[in-house]
Amino acid sequence: MAKPKVNIDRVFHALGDPTRRAMLDKLSEGPLSVSRLAAPLEITLTAVVQHLQVLEESGLVHTEKAGRVRTCRIETAGFSALEQWINDHRSLWEQRLDRLGDLLAEPEGGE
Amino acid sequence: MQEPSVVHSTFVIERSYPKPPERVFAAFADAAKKRRWFAESGSHDVEEFALDFRVGGAERLRYRFKEGTPFKGIVVMHEGTHQDIVTNRRVVTASTMTLGEKCISASLVTVELLATDNGTDLICTHQGAFFEGSDGPQIREAGWRHLFEQLAKELT
Repeated sequence: MAKPKVNIDRVFHALGDPTRRAMLDKLSEGPLSVSRLAAPLEITLTAVVQHLQVLEESGLVHTEKAGRVRTCRIETAGFSALEQWINDHRSLWEQRLDRLGDLLAEPEGGE
Repeated sequence: MQEPSVVHSTFVIERSYPKPPERVFAAFADAAKKRRWFAESGSHDVEEFALDFRVGGAERLRYRFKEGTPFKGIVVMHEGTHQDIVTNRRVVTASTMTLGEKCISASLVTVELLATDNGTDLICTHQGAFFEGSDGPQIREAGWRHLFEQLAKELT
């Protein structure tokens, strides 16, 4: 029931490659078979499959094989991890309370 | 079968400050002071901060992530309402956070101040409801593309 845990470092590693970003950009328009995804990229099918593995391991992409066709689609779990990272409320508050300590340590008096 | 679309998360952060509770409370009650520790940060530019420090009063913070952060240019809006205030003892605020166009969480933050021999113990309890995946197509089209573009610029 729970969504798969996503490792944020894996997500950034996945996004660190321009070919993978191009693949994600294409998939954000809708699901595609591996061959249709690979068509505009000027690399071997093997390389595409390797990139897809990285994307799948990072939780950004989900692939499914039906017969001989493997279909790829964007997986929102990876995106959700990004959101949570951006909005890591805990570290946000840790930093705020540290800054409060710095402010309180200043000498009392005018602004 | 539908999956839950909300993740609940509660955390508690404690600090000890070598100042009396009145000084710590003043940093919550005074807008200029609160801005300095609550609103300002090295990773974002504050575009708006307003504080109406009374029960029912609003708190608004709008900021934009800076150059050099992966989310450069993205605007975050925090809007809260004070639920309970006891002078020098506690401040309770309910708020939402919006990232770009999307409301991503609602939180209840309780800050308690306890007088000690050395000053003040502060207990911050943050109870959050994080909304993820509740609008999948929207994420793909708007949110994803926007974040993706920002990340791509940062990573090249």
